[in-house]
Amino acid sequence: MTRRVAVTGIGIVAPGGIGVPAFWDLLSHGRTATRGITFFDPSGLRSRIAAECDFDPGAHGLDAEEIERCDRYIQFALVAGDEAVRDSGLDLARENPWRVGVSLGTAVGGTTRLEHDYVLVSHGGRRWDVDHQEAEPHLHRAFSPSTLASTVAERFGARGPVQTVSTGCTSGLDSIGYAFHTIEENRADVCIVGASDSPISPITMACFDAIKATSPNNDDPAHASRPFDADRDGFVMGEGGAVLVLEELEHARARGARVYCEIGGYATFGNAYHMTGLTKEGLEMARAIESALDHARLDGTAIDYVNAHGSGTQQNDRHETAAVKRALGRHAYDTPMSSIKSMVGHSLGAIGSIEVVACVLALAHQVVPPTANYETPDPECDLDYVPRVARERRLNSVLSVGSGFGGFQSAVVLTRPREKTP
Amino acid sequence: MSEPHPRRAAVTGIGVVAPNGTTTETFWKSTKEGISVLDRVTREGCEHLPLRIAGQVREFDPSAAVEERFLVQTDRFTHFAMTAADLALDDARLPRSDTDGAPFSVGVVTAAGSGGGEFGQRELQQLWGKGSRFVGPYQSIAWFYAASTGQISIRRGFKGPCGVVAADEAGGLDALAHAARAVRRGTDVIVTGSTEAPLAPYSVVCQLGYGELSTVADPVRAYRPFTSAACGFVPAEGGAMLVVEDEDAALERGARVRAFLAGHAATFTGASRWEESRHGLAQAVRGALDEAGLAPEEIDVVFADALGVPEADRAEALAIADVLGAHGRRVPVTAPKTGIGRGYCAAPVLDAAAAVLAMEQGIVPPTPNVFDICHDLDLVTGRARAAELRTALVLSRGLMGSNSALVLRRGTAGAAQ
Amino acid sequence: MSDRITVEELSELMKKAAGVTVPADDLQQQQDSGFDTFGVDSLGLLGIVGELENRYGTPMPPDAERSKTPRQFLDLVNSALLAGA
Repeated sequence: MTRRVAVTGIGIVAPGGIGVPAFWDLLSHGRTATRGITFFDPSGLRSRIAAECDFDPGAHGLDAEEIERCDRYIQFALVAGDEAVRDSGLDLARENPWRVGVSLGTAVGGTTRLEHDYVLVSHGGRRWDVDHQEAEPHLHRAFSPSTLASTVAERFGARGPVQTVSTGCTSGLDSIGYAFHTIEENRADVCIVGASDSPISPITMACFDAIKATSPNNDDPAHASRPFDADRDGFVMGEGGAVLVLEELEHARARGARVYCEIGGYATFGNAYHMTGLTKEGLEMARAIESALDHARLDGTAIDYVNAHGSGTQQNDRHETAAVKRALGRHAYDTPMSSIKSMVGHSLGAIGSIEVVACVLALAHQVVPPTANYETPDPECDLDYVPRVARERRLNSVLSVGSGFGGFQSAVVLTRPREKTP
Repeated sequence: MSEPHPRRAAVTGIGVVAPNGTTTETFWKSTKEGISVLDRVTREGCEHLPLRIAGQVREFDPSAAVEERFLVQTDRFTHFAMTAADLALDDARLPRSDTDGAPFSVGVVTAAGSGGGEFGQRELQQLWGKGSRFVGPYQSIAWFYAASTGQISIRRGFKGPCGVVAADEAGGLDALAHAARAVRRGTDVIVTGSTEAPLAPYSVVCQLGYGELSTVADPVRAYRPFTSAACGFVPAEGGAMLVVEDEDAALERGARVRAFLAGHAATFTGASRWEESRHGLAQAVRGALDEAGLAPEEIDVVFADALGVPEADRAEALAIADVLGAHGRRVPVTAPKTGIGRGYCAAPVLDAAAAVLAMEQGIVPPTPNVFDICHDLDLVTGRARAAELRTALVLSRGLMGSNSALVLRRGTAGAAQ
Repeated sequence: MSDRITVEELSELMKKAAGVTVPADDLQQQQDSGFDTFGVDSLGLLGIVGELENRYGTPMPPDAERSKTPRQFLDLVNSALLAGA
């Protein structure tokens, strides 16, 4: 018998508001959280804007020791994890710990702390043969990417499969996909999943500057992230974390849990084209969408909303529009497709999970979040991008897609709870 | 015609770039002979650091192994990965002309424990020493954990499912399992494994925070698990890639089925909680045996995690006893990594590669530098031992708390060639 | 440093910034071949542009990295250098 996978809890730390209510308020009102960088002096950079979280870990239940020990991106995951587990109503102490897994994504992991300490040990970038005595005590935790899943697993007592997934900007979709397989294939009953990144630091900003991927619209940060708009000029860096509780459907039903929705299908493919470049045709993303739909046993016409990767670079938005048209056919023109990156920026590995949480909320509220800042149509991007204003709509099945450096193309299908299939 | 059966994940190719050999043949020869290559760390800028001994890949010339542009565009860990992937695909006799016709049927899954640290350090140096405009465009694709999967997929035209586990040591086995499951779900081929390059100065400084790291300066004494002189582990670089393929697809194209990835399970018992890893490891072994449909007595050789920390070694010995019972005292156990170091995620992948070779040749390789075992295990030391090996169990634990077990079965390609 | 970028300098930059060796003489002969035929991708061109901007202390035209051929690229950056001088 096929095991089905339910979403029973969600939690989030995102720019513009910490926690699910604040996040949904931002999205449903089409407000943007992008602004001039305040974390460090960005002068000298081409792109000096970002979507930063106003995040006080102490106010969200982390103690001084945890704050000292855990990098910011891990703090996001802990806080979002607390919210998601609370929201699910699961009493993890009563679960068989070997059947509880963790699958979390991150693209750049502990980079921010690695950079901070590098400045110390290299005496400001002057010594290749670094001075180890200047290193801080928790540096090794930033070096090891598995610290993310490990720290979250310890907090919640998970003893099953615990994985950190790092597939660039699809990490947050793939972490959910991996856990979906884990539950479906009976290696766990519950998985704490999601993704987190805090990449707003000089090295990460500089490396995206170097490839002109980020928006240089420093004069108008609130309107700088313009997915699908003809005048889009790059993505706006973001940060944040999202956690979901995935649970085998019967397990959730047996405890009377509220089921937000099901993960119906997931697929990922490589484009084998270029580490950063995307094709015009979007063949591989289309294939991921088709494969995820197959997995969900849905036809493309069943999709009521597409949550786009929509990063706001010229090539991405073209690529994605082509891919969705290829996969959904004529139905693509009747399907709203929006990018929340217009509001919360692009938090690299985290954004996929943040977007899935947005999809969960869209299904729960029967509201499609808008693409903020969308003004000028681009002839090559000719779908319905839900400009600026959220829209009520009957939603049963929604699709979230993503592309990542390295050529990753991933798709997740979410469906409202259905009755048991015979 | 045989009855239809569930898809099985076969190993059809092995590619190794290891401290003791930059081809599979030299790796196996050194491993079989129990040669230790642990020695002083000589990578530029590392020599003054308190880590004295490591398993360094000294025989590797990246300019001979990969195209010139990759020397500028990617990190050493990706040079290793591309090279090992080439070797594995050659070994599997799976040239580009065979895969180009069905690009979606070949995927890539790697595990990465530290990414492109040397490349990243160079760019950090540029940024903080000269200014943000001196950071080059390849930083965005060379440092991150996904670099090797992406580059292999692009270089070879593989469009199948691609994945990356960013992990501690045990993640190497998780990547192989991920590949095996993708094959069982319907993808014909996954190129999978892990390579690491953690011996850049800043990466070494980061590792100094691991309490389990051995800083002993004598190569013979630096890494001696299961002995009363155990003093931690020695890190290493390099790794291995395997071609994992649907058995029927392999047979159809006349490939050698060298082994099967028969069972796997992963658990978590907390970072550096070594005593508790006993239960985690035991649970993982039970899960892996269950998936493989094997009884504990059917395990013919164990490749141990062998961390080299007394508490962890004891936990591992007890875990083997917990699951294998009396058989656990008789089954040969080995840890060839004491001769080459622990290459983080790459370490258990090298063990899996060695396990395939060991089953093919009926030889259990020894555990270099280790004598006078203080646990109730039949650890193979000194020299290799001949044995009929139909199955192998590979164990791995990570510094961040993961435990993983992989069961392999001997393939159908026949024994010693 | 000369006030215009020569084929020799481009050849050196292609090696340094993109890891692609094309001897200056060959490049001279093949100025109308696409960068892609040499194996220089968009990131490589961005690296070359960045290196030039740092060397000459002046911004290069925004689309320099989209140049298809060495000749196109040299014409573009040299006209910018002239204008900036």
